[in-house]
Amino acid sequence: MASLAIQRVKREFKEVVTSSEAENSQIKLEMVAENLKHLQGEIKGPPDTPFEGATFILDILIPDSYPFNPPKVKFATKIWHPNISSATGAICLDILKDQWAAAMTLRTVLLSIQALLASAEPDDPQDAVVAKQYKETPEIYHMTAKFWAEFFAGGNPSSYSADLRQKVKSLCDMGIQSLDAVRALSHYNWDATTAVESIFS
Amino acid sequence: MSDSDYEHDDEDKDNDDDEPDYLSDPDDEFFDQVEPVLKPPPGLMAKEPRGPMGYLDFKFTCIGPDELMSRMHDIVKQVNAIFELPPCTTRILLSHFNWDKERLLERFYDGNQEKLFKDAHIVNPFRQARVPVGNSTILSVDVICDICLMETSHKQLEGLECHHLFCIDCWRNYMRTRIEDSGNALAIPCPHGKCDILVNENIVYRVMQPFPDVIRRFQYLSAQTFVQQHKLMKWCPSPGCTFAVEANSTRGVPVMCNCGYRFCFSCSSPAHEPVSCKYFQLWVKKCEDDSETAHWIHANTKQCPKCKATIEKSGGCNHMVCRNVNCKADFCWVCLGPWEPHGSSWYNCNRYNNSNAKVARDGQAQHRQALERYLFYYNRYVNHMKSLKFEDKLYAQIEVKMRDMQKLGLAWIETQFLKQAVDSLCHCRNTLMYTYVFAFFLTKNNHSILFEDNQRDLEMATETLSEYLERDINSDSISDTKVKVQDKSTYCERRRQVLLDYVYEGYESDIWEFNMM
Repeated sequence: MASLAIQRVKREFKEVVTSSEAENSQIKLEMVAENLKHLQGEIKGPPDTPFEGATFILDILIPDSYPFNPPKVKFATKIWHPNISSATGAICLDILKDQWAAAMTLRTVLLSIQALLASAEPDDPQDAVVAKQYKETPEIYHMTAKFWAEFFAGGNPSSYSADLRQKVKSLCDMGIQSLDAVRALSHYNWDATTAVESIFS
Repeated sequence: MSDSDYEHDDEDKDNDDDEPDYLSDPDDEFFDQVEPVLKPPPGLMAKEPRGPMGYLDFKFTCIGPDELMSRMHDIVKQVNAIFELPPCTTRILLSHFNWDKERLLERFYDGNQEKLFKDAHIVNPFRQARVPVGNSTILSVDVICDICLMETSHKQLEGLECHHLFCIDCWRNYMRTRIEDSGNALAIPCPHGKCDILVNENIVYRVMQPFPDVIRRFQYLSAQTFVQQHKLMKWCPSPGCTFAVEANSTRGVPVMCNCGYRFCFSCSSPAHEPVSCKYFQLWVKKCEDDSETAHWIHANTKQCPKCKATIEKSGGCNHMVCRNVNCKADFCWVCLGPWEPHGSSWYNCNRYNNSNAKVARDGQAQHRQALERYLFYYNRYVNHMKSLKFEDKLYAQIEVKMRDMQKLGLAWIETQFLKQAVDSLCHCRNTLMYTYVFAFFLTKNNHSILFEDNQRDLEMATETLSEYLERDINSDSISDTKVKVQDKSTYCERRRQVLLDYVYEGYESDIWEFNMM
């Protein structure tokens, strides 16, 4: 079965590389290990979302039973999204679990994940903190998601990004790692005092 | 041997199956003739002569693993006589309706068939293309299989009625993965991502022909799903048992599997007649909640009348000050009323009728009374349960006795009455055990008094039988003992039946009043 997995991934490579989405540089697929078991995907943030302009790297592991079982995919780039863990990058997407079908491909997976960025499902969250923010204070969620896309994934800067960067910097000046600072600030709706308290308590 | 002995033997033969007749009905054709849900005509209980247990016309049979498949095919055949569809399609339809033929028929002829097929995840068999799919196809042009992404010019293509074709190797891998991992073999979708048409058994048998292990697993899962979906079937819950039981009603009546295990058909718990499933579950929960610790707490402590903290008095005077920092109530240990009016009569509470104290005490008294009542029934319940646990030991003892008796010149067959008596004893104990649960939830009225009389009779008879079985057997007493044991065990079975009949009649005519505790 393992040989089928490798054969199939080889073919899929071709499909992704020659696809129209790849030409528009919306998606990309690269090998990490020679054995084709470990791949790296890349998707562009969809337009009209906080992720616009950003590029996200995905870590893809191909199981031996592929394509009869889904590939294991997670975000290597940090992202602020209700269905993606802000800590581990784990993705909550049905086609990566029980809704996987053997005729789906890495291309469809990449496109589905891209579509997930455009339409979040806060009622079925992977990251409860983000989902709560998404539902209760959508403006703050939007601002945070955009900031994360800019800070970690090369997204377009926004009007308030200088402001937020300043807050992060003020925490970094206290000796806090920048990743921890961004996490804590995002978690506490950019309230610097509570964020600092949470880190030092 | 005297004539009377023979009579006893005969009588014993009648009750021989150690289960009353209703539990071992050999009438296999029954299920083909009778509608699945039978309601007894009104007045049946009073007028018609009844078997050992007249409670409804509850009947059941035990089905072995091989027979299950044929039972499933029978149902498919019956429906197909009307539908004239491919059997595999009918089977998916039936599975969709949890094997309820009537509901399927009703829905089939009354309503939107297109929607029916869509809901059942099958292609409308009346609109299928003329091209015979399902039969293996070899295409001359190069087609790329969507799973392995290889050209399939030399390979066999397979697909369901939805016409999503994949090469046979991919189908094999797909099915192996799904059948080995899935718990429901009847719900495997087409491997095409956007198609929810279900895989039918034909393609499984066709494609997986070289892999008998996968086919076996598929059949096993099909049978599993069939029994789980079928309302009138239950797996025997006994560990390792592969039998299923089919009945004609979902009522909570005990059934006995061929493996000897007795369980309630409705809730699959161990047989708990005469108490109903609902109260049985309540009882089990109550017993779990009210552990021995809880009993000790109730018996040896009091609650602070203000904050309800549990207090044990380990010494000192009756002036209690609650240690709970938020409470600090002063009260009297004896009357549980506030301490203030007690003044200086430190060691003597003379305020027993003080209204505040009375409220506090009444609450506790009520609690204690409820607990006493519960413990009354619980102790008797546990007593029978413990006796039942010695069942194995008793069977071993009886085995020894039977051998002794054979040494005294009796034939093997003549000693069998002892074993049957132990069977009766166990049945009676099991029933008695649950009569205490029944009684615990029962509100007192005239009927409950009659019930308790029945219970007492059965209890006395059972204990006497138990005593007879403990007695030593020697050559002088042997015939005397045999007569006594046989008489008593028959009597016990009868008393048990009378008790059960009365309870079930009561359920029918709604004379029992329960309270939830």
